[in-house]
Amino acid sequence: MEYRLRLAKRMLFNKKGSLIGAVLAVTIGILVIHVNFVIFQGLFDAIVRDISNYRNGDILITDEADYIDKSDLALANWFERIPYVQGATPRLSSTAEINMTKNGKLIEETRIPVVGVDPDRDVRTSTVHETVAEGTYVINRNSVVLGSNVARDLGDAQVGDNLKLLITDRWGEDQVRNFRVAGIVQSPGGQGLDYSVVMHIDSLRDMMSREGESSSFMVKLNDPTKAYEVKEFFLRAFPNDDFLAETIEESAEEQLAGFRSGIAMINMIGYFGMMSSAFAIVTIQMMLVNGKTREIGVMRSIGAKRKDILIIFLFQGMIIGAIGAGVGTAAGLGYTFYAKETKMSFNNSLPLEVSYDWAKITQTALTSFTLAIIASLYPSYRATKLLPVEAMRTV
Amino acid sequence: MTKIFGEGPNQVKALDDVSFSVEKGEFVIVVGSSGSGKSTLLNMIGLLDRPTKGKVFIDGIDTTKLNDGKISAFRNKKLGFIFQFSNLLNDLTVLENVLLPRQIGGTNGSAKKDALELLQAVGLEDQINKRTNKISGGQAQRAAIARGLVNRPSIVLADEPTGNLDSVTSMKIVQLMKTMAKKLNQTFIVVTHDRKDFSDVDRIITIIDGRAFEGEQPTELEMVA
Ligand SMILES: Nc1ncnc2c1ncn2[C@@H]1O[C@H](COP(=O)(O)OP(=O)(O)OP(=O)(O)O)[C@@H](O)[C@H]1O
Ligand SMILES: [Mg+2]
Repeated sequence: MEYRLRLAKRMLFNKKGSLIGAVLAVTIGILVIHVNFVIFQGLFDAIVRDISNYRNGDILITDEADYIDKSDLALANWFERIPYVQGATPRLSSTAEINMTKNGKLIEETRIPVVGVDPDRDVRTSTVHETVAEGTYVINRNSVVLGSNVARDLGDAQVGDNLKLLITDRWGEDQVRNFRVAGIVQSPGGQGLDYSVVMHIDSLRDMMSREGESSSFMVKLNDPTKAYEVKEFFLRAFPNDDFLAETIEESAEEQLAGFRSGIAMINMIGYFGMMSSAFAIVTIQMMLVNGKTREIGVMRSIGAKRKDILIIFLFQGMIIGAIGAGVGTAAGLGYTFYAKETKMSFNNSLPLEVSYDWAKITQTALTSFTLAIIASLYPSYRATKLLPVEAMRTV
Repeated sequence: MTKIFGEGPNQVKALDDVSFSVEKGEFVIVVGSSGSGKSTLLNMIGLLDRPTKGKVFIDGIDTTKLNDGKISAFRNKKLGFIFQFSNLLNDLTVLENVLLPRQIGGTNGSAKKDALELLQAVGLEDQINKRTNKISGGQAQRAAIARGLVNRPSIVLADEPTGNLDSVTSMKIVQLMKTMAKKLNQTFIVVTHDRKDFSDVDRIITIIDGRAFEGEQPTELEMVA
């Protein structure tokens, strides 16, 4: 082995405390970044996932002027002919006032969001139907599914209860109809339709006097990476319909911009943590250098050049960096694996979307490795400044 | 040459206009009382420090003109050092210590063979793979001698090589140095407190208050005794 590398290694490994300290500093720096990533990126991705699954699909089609009036069948069929498309479904939104008599007491809730869905198409496109906690998912034209929060606000509404829905139609007239509760939906993390009432889209169209119209069209792909392509294809196919189309990435970019900068901020903090690890390495290596003044003097006296001394201590930085990066990455991956396996959730409710971002993992490891070497520059430089005689003095 | 430490009122003239030359193959001992300037002299010759005034010529080369890189190479190739405390590197084995000057100089060729030969000559062939903090002081000093000789330097410099050893071991070390000097026809300049250890040598230089004198100086001897 190269003698300078061997000396670097031995000097380091014979000072276990310093070695462990320095490696730990690097390890913790990396681990913090991994944990941050799992939690905050996982949270971000979880929110995006839920928006996609429950509301937007991979592509959300809307109309520049409020409502889409193209027929469901035409649009859905057009989309479902594309092999990447898993499903396409119309949605219609409004708000309602709900009256319900429970145990002889009238409970009234206003401004409850109402979502009209096409039950057949919806189950292929969205996962709202998987969040049914009680009863069944929609639905015939006389029943509704309540979000769990709405059910709670209505004095713990149960499946089978009857309620009255009041919706103002497009002409400003109040339309009232009775519905039966078919089911209650509750999504992990409450990102689903927990605060809404879900009903058959045709019933809602009726009440709103919007025959054949939809607020949006939700398109789910079996290959989400093709979202942009499909969106562009769609917009080119319907140039005269004033459609707007947005991929989930674009929607997330808009809706979660604040969150994104929050993540950037937290990553910054992670990198600051790495910097303080670097300072720890500087301190530990200064101690190593100071503890080796005699050895450095001896080496200089038998002909080692400044460069050789520099290289020995830079090698130490590399060893610390390499082991630290290895252990830190392993620990980080261990944590990520644990989070994924245990389906870790944020705040005990929203399941994190845990992923392995290999580019970022590699980048983090390389950054901390590089930082360890940079940190060792100063102690190494100081080591070269020790004069042979001065060094020999400290016997 | 002259060497002055410090500035102004605190300055110490450790060497005062010292001038002498040593021939190839000579075995020279430098004696003198504590603080007289022996180590300072050896450090100047060993290019570990630069004189305040004057020059050091080795093999006809004016070493004061060399830069740090050249001086390091010079120390590596032309000079061998043996110190009071063997100053072996505890992070390495005996053999690795002896090999180190070769590796630093990048002359690995027959290094291992030469090192083993030297270790055998100093009687350490059965200790080569031990860490240097696991051997005795005498053994360490013998290993240091092997290390000092492995590059076949023109000059071997030793600063109180026996200063830390009991008298029996000291005798052996001195004998060893003399044998090696003769065998390899190498110049030895040895600083010692204890002139008695060395019996007959080619030459004695006595340092008194930073000045060098040829031969033994009776006053010095009395002071040492
Ligand atoms: N780096 C230094 N700075 C200041 N003074 C020094 C330095 N090195 C040596 N001296 C002084 O120079 C003088 C000679 O010191 P030196 O170490 O050469 O003596 P020595 O003969 O080797 O003594 P000893 O036998 O005790 O080893 C002493 O007065 C010492 O205090
Ligand atoms: Mg001395």
